[in-house]
Amino acid sequence: MADIVVNGDTSGAVTLSAPAVAGTVTVTLPSTSGTMLTTASSTGISGSAISSGTVAEAYGGTGTTTGYYGFKSRIINGGMVIDQRNAGASVTNIAGAVYPVDRFYALGSQASKFTVQQNAGSVTPPAGFIKYVGVTSSSAYSLLAGDYFILGQAIEGLNIADLAWGTASAATVTLSFWVRSSLTGTFGGNFRNNAGDRNYPFTYTISVANTWEQKSVTIAGDTSGTWLTTNGMGINVSFGLGVGSTFSGTAGAWSGNNYLGATGATSVVGTNGATFYITGVQLEKGSTATSFDYRPIGTELALCQRYYFRKATGSLSAIGVGSYYSTTQIFTMFDLPVQMRATPSLDAASGTNYYKAAVNSAGDGFDSFTLDGVTTSLRVVLLTSSNVSGTVGWSAMVYADNASAYVGLTSEL
Amino acid sequence: MYKLIKSLISGNIDVVNKITDNKILSIPFDPDNTDYQAYLKWLAEGNTPLPADEVTQ
Repeated sequence: MADIVVNGDTSGAVTLSAPAVAGTVTVTLPSTSGTMLTTASSTGISGSAISSGTVAEAYGGTGTTTGYYGFKSRIINGGMVIDQRNAGASVTNIAGAVYPVDRFYALGSQASKFTVQQNAGSVTPPAGFIKYVGVTSSSAYSLLAGDYFILGQAIEGLNIADLAWGTASAATVTLSFWVRSSLTGTFGGNFRNNAGDRNYPFTYTISVANTWEQKSVTIAGDTSGTWLTTNGMGINVSFGLGVGSTFSGTAGAWSGNNYLGATGATSVVGTNGATFYITGVQLEKGSTATSFDYRPIGTELALCQRYYFRKATGSLSAIGVGSYYSTTQIFTMFDLPVQMRATPSLDAASGTNYYKAAVNSAGDGFDSFTLDGVTTSLRVVLLTSSNVSGTVGWSAMVYADNASAYVGLTSEL
Repeated sequence: MYKLIKSLISGNIDVVNKITDNKILSIPFDPDNTDYQAYLKWLAEGNTPLPADEVTQ
């Protein structure tokens, strides 16, 4: 018998149908009175059976069979909203790393090949976003074999420990993002570990020029290699802007080589004026790209400040209260808003009388600071350069007093 | 160029400054600090920092 039909008292019927498959399936009914769940479209329940199905995000579920709670996206500032360093100003790449927005680095093997800026070009971001990071090529540069120009984020090991990469239980992850370029074709990116000896180049296609497109890349976690689960770098995710042959590998496979991009990927820096815009970057556990993990702005800022904290910028920007340790030097101490990843470096501008100590109804100018060695990941102690002139024991309010002055603390990965 | 810094408080050399035009990067001797890791790599390449100034109190 394939069906059991239960007729209603007056009309209608309920039909119980056996699946057209071999084997025995047991369905256990609830032991309490009530109404069973109804159709998928009205409840958000989907799948062949409730126990193995998914609950759509629109109904408060995760939309995946793996499920997650809390820190869904391991990318910080994926919406490119926080920019403590530049406040939206353009940055020219260097031979090394610059940070166009918080947590995202732009790394180059050579300087001045592109500029990068929050909301470069002032195009309308994808629906639901207000910011993006935009790269603009500064020339038609022909890549050398050893060149690399990439945009990416290094994720702290403590934030990816549950992925169990480097073990037989390595979890599958999905990277999703919105991208827009003046170029079309195959573009590349890469996942790598701290040592750079485990890499997974990937590719994606931009089909239409100057149009936002959402992409997702799902990869099986690496069961080999060493993936840090400490406060060091866990996973480094990057997008290629032009990577030479030395650092390019075959897409879609784990490798023990030191790669930074995928073979055959488009070089953005190869076309003068070419643009590459990106936002909504999300890395999550599982094989499904789900909706962007919007976090409260205060939470996102605090997450960023674990790696960089801008204490003061420009004129009349207070730094803290200090005291004259000697007639020529002032100690200033302040607490950090969140515990930083490691004891931070002081990153500060230096120039004639860029800073002042408000004391005795006057401003005692000085050029810069140095960090004192008693600084920790929670508390900073600064010492002025030796050109103040005061009385030992006096206290003073220390502040930046030049448009180019700034004081930052950095513990980036 | 790097220059070693002696703490006025502890008297120890536990910071190194990297000075470029109009900017200073003051780096603590923390093994987890990536700027310090870069400094150690620079040292391993055979380079030598400028010595620390004597502390005056």
